[in-house]
Amino acid sequence: MAAAHTPETSWRESATGYLFLAPWLIGFFGLTLGPALVSLYLSFTDYDLLSNPRWVGAANYVRIATSDPKFSAAMHVTFLYVALSVPLKLAFALLVAMMLNRGLRGLPLYRAIFYLPSLIGASVAVSVLWRQVFSGDGLLNQALKLVGIHGPSWISNPDTALYTLVALAVWQFGSPMIIFLAGLRQIPKDVYEAAEIDGASRSQQFWRITLPLLTPVLFFNLVVQTIDAFKAFTPAFIISGGTGGPIDSTLFYTLYLYQEAFAYFRMGYASALAWVLVVIIAVFTALSFLTSRYWVHYDG
Amino acid sequence: MSGFALSRRSLIGAGIGGATLVGLGGLPAAAGQTRLRMFWWGAKERAERTDKVNQLYLGSHPDMTIASETLGWTDYWARLATQTAGRNAPDVLQMDYRYIFEYARRGALLPLDAYVPKALNLSDFSPAAVDSGKVDGKIYGVSLGLNSTAMVYDKGLIQSLGLKEPVWNMTWNEIGDLAAEITKAAKRDGFTGMEDGGGNEPLLEVWLAQRGKSLYTAEGKVGYDDKDMTEWLAFWSDMRKRGASAAPDVQALDRGEIDSNLLSLGKIAMTFAHSNQLVGFQAINKSKLGLSTFPDGGQGAKPGQYLKPAMMWSVSAQSKQAEAAVQLVSYFIADTEAGKLLGVERGVPASSAVRNVVTPMLDDLGRAMVDYISLISDKVGPLPPPPPRGAGEIQAVLRRVNEQVGFGRLTPADGAKQFVAEASAVLARG
Repeated sequence: MAAAHTPETSWRESATGYLFLAPWLIGFFGLTLGPALVSLYLSFTDYDLLSNPRWVGAANYVRIATSDPKFSAAMHVTFLYVALSVPLKLAFALLVAMMLNRGLRGLPLYRAIFYLPSLIGASVAVSVLWRQVFSGDGLLNQALKLVGIHGPSWISNPDTALYTLVALAVWQFGSPMIIFLAGLRQIPKDVYEAAEIDGASRSQQFWRITLPLLTPVLFFNLVVQTIDAFKAFTPAFIISGGTGGPIDSTLFYTLYLYQEAFAYFRMGYASALAWVLVVIIAVFTALSFLTSRYWVHYDG
Repeated sequence: MSGFALSRRSLIGAGIGGATLVGLGGLPAAAGQTRLRMFWWGAKERAERTDKVNQLYLGSHPDMTIASETLGWTDYWARLATQTAGRNAPDVLQMDYRYIFEYARRGALLPLDAYVPKALNLSDFSPAAVDSGKVDGKIYGVSLGLNSTAMVYDKGLIQSLGLKEPVWNMTWNEIGDLAAEITKAAKRDGFTGMEDGGGNEPLLEVWLAQRGKSLYTAEGKVGYDDKDMTEWLAFWSDMRKRGASAAPDVQALDRGEIDSNLLSLGKIAMTFAHSNQLVGFQAINKSKLGLSTFPDGGQGAKPGQYLKPAMMWSVSAQSKQAEAAVQLVSYFIADTEAGKLLGVERGVPASSAVRNVVTPMLDDLGRAMVDYISLISDKVGPLPPPPPRGAGEIQAVLRRVNEQVGFGRLTPADGAKQFVAEASAVLARG
């Protein structure tokens, strides 16, 4: 085998390789890179899908930066959502992971149950369910009524609508939880035993052992969940009926982008918005990596 | 604007998700066969009727296949624009008054004048009905039915409360009084007499027309000023204060479809919609419903409502079988057998011959709709200029500003100022 490594066989070997890679390559160039480049071009045009794109230079970006109040509104909503939902979700995921890590009986079952919301999380059905729970005479208010509280219509009140979406995100803590659980399993038991002999309390053990040794996993979850939160779309789309209302209180960035592209036929402007989002996510990811050296410990 | 309202109905089925591709005689087209693609918005009821007509047509055209596809209103326009941009437009497509000018002026639609009268039979159309599909003097769309704005109300409930049903010549204040009475008599938590119509664009349009104004001028500018809008927003603010119309957090549950309309949710007794939607509303409301006009502007006011083509068939300029496509369109709008199958689901037929055949075979609901159209026919104004580019966004702005006033974030006067400024900016940007 090693002796027969002629150019012909190596071509044959790599041809087979490329053949197996082909679906991915076609997908990457045809469905990812190609459209991305087209959208980059469109972001410098005025394009309504019917007429030909008209080159406008940086005008779309200038408008985003200087004179688009809806852009600012969408930014505000999205950042608030990311800032609230990501830490809460991770904290909750870690909490549940630690509970499950205590060696419960029937652990796989609990794992599956807790993971379920994540599995179906971004789906239309769950968002519809959420709408039912938090609407004026939904499940939540019926429960509140039992204790004599008359709740508002949470999803259709501008003061509370976004928080119901944060709650929905936190509820979908399953996938970071599974990853935390795997991370917790990696921490050697003898470290805790040694700490216990030295008289470390539970909370000391958590802050000095669990958390530091878990930072690589925490870092991974943080990056993935932050990117996901920036891209969140379906819950807001379903719950507000695509309006981002009431009063733009659930106008997620991606929802605004969708409206511009497909409701108002401003594909050029929407493309520019999309590229701004790419840059924002890239900046946040880069920041996470840059700061990681100060708080992520790989020397487990 | 019927577009806006029709969407409520057509979206019912769309929630289930995506397109229903109905390939009739769906074998690969053999040599010499004509394959037509047809695309329209609408839900199950419309799909069944449309497919029956297609099947009947194919019975006498064995050399043909028709691929008929449907989506909900919102997704429909995104898909149609994308297909047109990709040079992959369907041969026959359902068009709305809101979009026909945009599509025709960009060369996406085929002018149909050359096909009249041989392939396209418009002999039983009134001149007004033909004109409604014209852009710059040429026919680009053929009406599938006539339609108008209408108030849909809970007849059963209002009767059981012992109150008088709304009638066609009530003024805005009289409707408000009635709504307040209904609220008081019903004594139900979170229930009010009518919807909060402040964010309802078709309703605003009728109100403006009654004062001799319009949503848009022929030049594509806003047709009203701060003073008009202040009065409008103040009227609804007052209605909310009196408990006549829905509280803002209740109204916000309405997402522009029949199934989320507050009437369907059991929160109100009167809603502002479109006449052909009565069928859709009745299908999901247990109580018996009735149809009346939008409020009257009072003594001396101009007519506010108008008759509009509910939906039109257009033929794509990209079609390679234009002649066949036009013949199919002609069958849909002028053939009495097709008319019997279609009924009034897309509105009252524009062809008088078809209308004469269809009317006697209608059920109560269908007859109520035909009666309604004939009742208002001599009380309507002319078709207003079509909405300019960007008008779709102004609907959303109106809804938001009315919410801002409703939730106490803006006074009616400030809301009016903001609305006029934003609407003008949207139109300037196009």
